[in-house]
Amino acid sequence: MAFAAEVGCGLKLVSLLLCGALCAHATTFCVTLAGLGGEPDYEQRFTTWAKEIDQTLKGAGPDVKSEMLSGPAATRARFRTVLESFAKEAKQQDALIVMLIGHGSFDGTDYKINIPGPDISATELAAMLDRVPAGRQLVVNMTSASGGSVHALQKPNRSVITATRSGSEKNATVFARYWVEGLRNAAADTDKNEVITALEAFKYAELKTKQFYDTQKRLSTEHASIDGGDQQGPLLAARFPLLRLGSIQLAAKDPAKQELLAKREHLEQQIDQLKFQKAATPTDEYKKQLSALLLDLARTQAELDK
Amino acid sequence: MRLLFILALSIPLAAQTVEECRNDEHYGRRDQAKQCFEKLIGSHNPAMQAEGFWGLRKYEEANKAFRLAVAGAPKVPGYRVRWGRLLLERFNQSQAAELFQEALQIDPKSAPATLGLALVASDGFEHKAVDLANKALELDPKLTEAQELLASLALEDNTPEKAAAEAEKALKMSPESLDAMAILGTMDMLRDQKSTPWFDRMLKINPVYGEGYAIAGHFFVLNRRYVEGIQYYRKALELNPDDMGARAELGVNLMRLGEEKEAREQLLQCFEGGYRNALTTNSLTLLDSYKNFVTFKTDNTIIKVHKKEADLLHPYVEAELKRAIATYEKKYKLKLTAPVQVEVYPDHEDFAVRTMGMPGLGALGVTFGNVVAMDSPSGRKPGTFHWASTLWHELSHVYVLTATNHRVPRWFTEGMAVHEETAASPDWGDRLDPEAIRAIKEKKLLPVAELDRGFIRPTYPNQVVVSYFQAGRICDYIDKTWGYDKLLDMMHSFAQSVSTAEVIEKQLGMKPEDFDTKFIAWLEAQTKTTVQGFDEWKKKIRTLNELAKAGKQDEVIQSGLAIRDMYPDYVEAGSVYELLADAYLAKGDKAKAMAQLEKYSSIGGRSSELIKKLATLQEEAGKKKEAAASLQRLNYIYPFDEELHRRLGDLWLQQGNTRGAVAEYTAVIASKPLDQAASRFNLARALQSDHRTEDAKEQLLLALEAAPGFKPAQRLLLEMSSK
Repeated sequence: MAFAAEVGCGLKLVSLLLCGALCAHATTFCVTLAGLGGEPDYEQRFTTWAKEIDQTLKGAGPDVKSEMLSGPAATRARFRTVLESFAKEAKQQDALIVMLIGHGSFDGTDYKINIPGPDISATELAAMLDRVPAGRQLVVNMTSASGGSVHALQKPNRSVITATRSGSEKNATVFARYWVEGLRNAAADTDKNEVITALEAFKYAELKTKQFYDTQKRLSTEHASIDGGDQQGPLLAARFPLLRLGSIQLAAKDPAKQELLAKREHLEQQIDQLKFQKAATPTDEYKKQLSALLLDLARTQAELDK
Repeated sequence: MRLLFILALSIPLAAQTVEECRNDEHYGRRDQAKQCFEKLIGSHNPAMQAEGFWGLRKYEEANKAFRLAVAGAPKVPGYRVRWGRLLLERFNQSQAAELFQEALQIDPKSAPATLGLALVASDGFEHKAVDLANKALELDPKLTEAQELLASLALEDNTPEKAAAEAEKALKMSPESLDAMAILGTMDMLRDQKSTPWFDRMLKINPVYGEGYAIAGHFFVLNRRYVEGIQYYRKALELNPDDMGARAELGVNLMRLGEEKEAREQLLQCFEGGYRNALTTNSLTLLDSYKNFVTFKTDNTIIKVHKKEADLLHPYVEAELKRAIATYEKKYKLKLTAPVQVEVYPDHEDFAVRTMGMPGLGALGVTFGNVVAMDSPSGRKPGTFHWASTLWHELSHVYVLTATNHRVPRWFTEGMAVHEETAASPDWGDRLDPEAIRAIKEKKLLPVAELDRGFIRPTYPNQVVVSYFQAGRICDYIDKTWGYDKLLDMMHSFAQSVSTAEVIEKQLGMKPEDFDTKFIAWLEAQTKTTVQGFDEWKKKIRTLNELAKAGKQDEVIQSGLAIRDMYPDYVEAGSVYELLADAYLAKGDKAKAMAQLEKYSSIGGRSSELIKKLATLQEEAGKKKEAAASLQRLNYIYPFDEELHRRLGDLWLQQGNTRGAVAEYTAVIASKPLDQAASRFNLARALQSDHRTEDAKEQLLLALEAAPGFKPAQRLLLEMSSK
């Protein structure tokens, strides 16, 4: 919803899609792959990040199925097996998340992630993902040169987040470190709706990555992007919930609270509308109206939380 | 100055004409000189043409003509030397040096070429300038310009007796040496004599010799007497408005004192007149960039910060500046009559423009009268720069310069400034570093009476850094032995324009040599363990880092504890404290890890990462007050850290320091956080606790505007509405 505030008229659409994604009894299938480090320091770093992602996702609730492959187990065959098992279980309303950590390469034609044994190319990965019937898919490729994988992976209803904007950004990346941090940090949930979306996690990691290079006085060698900078990319990522932080679903299940829920939604829409008209509204008038709506919303939420 | 040099050149045929032209110049007959140079252009000899163009300030043409001259007579060293001198005048030191070297390959005994190299070295305040000038004189004992250079170098080194002797020698060689007269006149004025005969003598020979006053300007600026320096540059320009070098210096020094409008006018005049050296162009660029700076004024402070970091930095800088002013007012028993201006540059290159053309380090901050320019902490890697320490250092200069009316040797004002850093807080200032250890061990510290030389013209790498250290320790020693008031007495003695030797004798009652002996003994006793054990420590710290890398925690602890106190001041990356803390943490012993990091921090360790780690351990151990103090230290080192301010805000709020919490949460907002809602909400909580209800409501509204469904903020809104 943070993005919704920026796009203005796309707001309602995003709200509804997000709500749909959260309300349905859908399962989220996740696989995290940590590739070869090349040296012990990277090896350890990649494995640690992958484990942290896996732990976070496993703790997110019963409707999340998470698998993690690292070290010698991170082979193409094992990865394929995991995705085949997902393909058997998943349904159209489900979601699939693939996260890649490690060193990647791009030869100008195809991208590959460096893993024990034969590497996996972006084209092969795309074919594996196509076989999973989950209707919403997210690939978070955090390797070097990951921007080179976008073209092969892109398709409708699949969001592709990459640590680099092209295949030519070949230096080891730090984006994964902050992506992991974003999943664990409530600060990433900027709209405070207790859900961290892919877009929110992306923005968190993107900002932290930029700050890392600024602080270290180093020339930035990675520039994260969504769908290779496609303007529609953030829309899909915004409606892709990654983690639920609170009890957002509980009220929705209580029929007695439907009226309050409707009121809350109405108030939220009024607030969004007022914010959209902020520039055209006199400051005092804006504040007065906003205060009143926010107070009403707070009271409604308090009722809902009883 | 140039006259005799020209005589020494072996330019065929038209030599007489060049001599005549320069002769006219020497006596200030500008119109005749111009006509003479114009005639030279008509010569068939490209070297003569070059001299003609040069005399008429047609530098491009002169350059081309010299190229032809050298191509036509590649074995004539004199052409290369003259071409080199042209390039030197036109700010191209490196190619000038190449030409002098080439001339020396042709004639290894070329005195003018050797002098050329001495001038290049002199431009960069290099020690070898003195050796080269002496060598040039050996090669040609009649080379007055080399003798004049020696006088100038001696005065730059703040050895006036030597400078006077060298200038007298120059006058013996040439009774009409205008520069020797200018140097002697400058020395009289630096000593605050009411008048000097030397400038009159100089003007009798050449009534329009503005260059003589420009020499005075140079030395007054070098002695940080900027106002008088500016006056001399103005005088130089009155006599010779075409002296763009003097005009550029006038512009730069006006800029140093904050007179930006006139500075720009003067520098623009230089730029448009083709005088485009790095100092002029970079200063103009810097002046242009001031539109991106925001100025904050109070009764006694003016703070100029870049707009991109003004919100965050300004409150911290202003608070610290006011605290330092209040402290120094008492310590120096002096109230400044004008506000102190502090300029903070996020781009180090902009700051570097402020120190261009100045000898010494000036790597972090620089003071011009009441104006302090310094790097912003954002311009450096976190942990490498203590901005508050630098601010206090520079402000000390403002007080010392004011108290002495700018009549103070470099070593003393730097020594006081270094002393004040650790006096403000023991963990501030610089630690005993390997360069200083080596200098103590190898007996490379300078006698106090010659310490200025270490700042102006270092003889070995890092001697400037060592000189800062030595000067600071001398002031520490005097403070400890005679008391702080003795330092003030010395400061006031320096104000009478007396030498270091005289001040030491008068105030400390001993010869400078005796002082050196006592000081060195004190310093060696203080640093004995580290200096004696340094080589062994160096080997062992390397091994310790290897053990840590291999994860051998027990061995790290055993070896680390054994060597830590051999060199306790070492708090850089890979310090014993850091390795010990990591090893203890790996073994789950948080208390011991915390103890190591506490020691690290108290000694002056500056790594943001380690200090935040320490604060976490302290918080976990329930030592919230100590945790807050640890994080507060980081505000003085690298405040561009949203997490730091949030954590410190939380700690202050928990401890009831509501003002501190408001300040820290305000800094979070100034950091432009991603999480606007939580940041505004935290500030609202702190403001409410500080009984600033209306401000709290404002922030709460902003929090909920960003995230209307933010439940903690909704609860606070309901709570505040019900009151």
